[in-house]
Amino acid sequence: MITRLLALGGHEFASRPPDRAVCELILRLATARAEGRPRICLLPTASGDTSETIGRFYAAFGERPCEPSDLSLFRLGRRPMALRDHLLSQDLIYVDGGSLVNLLAVWEAHELNEILSEAWRRGIVLAGQSAGAMCWFEAGITKSSGKAAPGDGLGLLSGSLCVHYNNEPERRAAYLDAVGGGMPCGYGRDDYAGLLWEGTGPPSALTARRGARAYRVTATDEGVVESPLPARFLPAPAPAALREDIAEFRRVRRMRQGAGWLG
Amino acid sequence: METALRQIVAFGGGGFSMESGNPLLDDYVLGLTGAARPKVCFLPSASGDADHYIVRFYRAFPAERCEPSHISLFRREQGPDDLRRHLLSQDLIYVGGGSVVSLLGVWRAHGIDTILREAWEAGVVLCGLSAGSLCWFAEAVTGFHGAPQRVEGLGLLPFSNCVHYDEGSRRRLDYHDFLRAGMRAGYAAEDGAALHFTGTELSRIVSSRSHARGYRLDLVGDRVVEMQIATAYLGDPRLASLAPLPEAMSTPVAA
Repeated sequence: MITRLLALGGHEFASRPPDRAVCELILRLATARAEGRPRICLLPTASGDTSETIGRFYAAFGERPCEPSDLSLFRLGRRPMALRDHLLSQDLIYVDGGSLVNLLAVWEAHELNEILSEAWRRGIVLAGQSAGAMCWFEAGITKSSGKAAPGDGLGLLSGSLCVHYNNEPERRAAYLDAVGGGMPCGYGRDDYAGLLWEGTGPPSALTARRGARAYRVTATDEGVVESPLPARFLPAPAPAALREDIAEFRRVRRMRQGAGWLG
Repeated sequence: METALRQIVAFGGGGFSMESGNPLLDDYVLGLTGAARPKVCFLPSASGDADHYIVRFYRAFPAERCEPSHISLFRREQGPDDLRRHLLSQDLIYVGGGSVVSLLGVWRAHGIDTILREAWEAGVVLCGLSAGSLCWFAEAVTGFHGAPQRVEGLGLLPFSNCVHYDEGSRRRLDYHDFLRAGMRAGYAAEDGAALHFTGTELSRIVSSRSHARGYRLDLVGDRVVEMQIATAYLGDPRLASLAPLPEAMSTPVAA
């Protein structure tokens, strides 16, 4: 079983070209593994399961050939779900950003950590951006407590990760300090840059926006060194390719309404 | 040294979250502070800090009657820097409803559990509904996540707790099952009823609805004994003053 994990520096579920390119990549990774229609589940925990996050996800994937769902731990009161069964039946689990500290605390309280690491070992693709990317590593740089500071992750992947690398200079500074001070070495990643791990080899770097980079960040005798990684460019799909058969769109919309995700 | 009066008011359900237009329970907890313009901090953690919930809090607790604030643990870059100092300076801390499991997880991650105990000991009135009620007890029954679950709370009150304990509710049966399975004795409250504890003793039950009740539950042998407790309806015009309940009501039933 090949494990797959896509860690993104930052993006949105929006209609701009680089955002479409990221959605396309997520869909492709899910489709490659799926037997039927790929199942993609959003975990919006890090934001506190905001309607905005959930709404954007469905807006991005509702019209694509896939079965999107969301597992909102703060909203289970209105829609109870069997957490383990639901997650392990997915092709891809996408974790959105927000507070890394809260994300991990809430997952732990609901015993999701074990389920997610089982999902990963079973070959279900794990993906995420921002806090949802750092959570898979041993450590990251989070603003969960207000200021950019080191925080622990689940440690499925060894090393550390810093997101929004050149987009939020204070994060990069905090990361360089932390790695210099003994945090495990790892990667810095601009918004729209990502790293894809397939199996046990080194990751491949991807970028959806020209100039957005992923860096290998290591501590050496001369200090902390940042080396940009050669990245493959992800072109945005032509808008025409986005046009779904109307009947298909309506079917998905009915399904979404049936799922009652907004109560 | 004078010890501060420790008070917790645990709503079975009600207040601005559930009873818009009925401010009886919210007025009651504001009154307990003894302050002319009490400082009230809302903790919406159990809802994931839902925006609409925070807005409703500020509408129900306008600046004319109190000094309202909230802490959003999902957006720490806004709001008070020093959580401890902010919480300890309050007259009332009001905890909203939602997922008690998530609430406790997030609180522990930010050290709020320890701060709340300190606040309680310092005399800050603590209150809340639903998840915001369950959290204060040693053990609680939650039905929020589907199947009934037994959760461990902060343990300020050494009892078990069940909320939304209404007639014909599934929770009633679940709570009884848990008690038979070894959950410690405790208290249940219907929507609109609130358990007011002074120290760790139940001092009275008040309500915002004339029919809402609170209960004491004990296990006697293998039988669950449910005792309905006299409730003071806060909307009763004849209610002149609220005398504390007789001590017998607040101590466990002898088995």
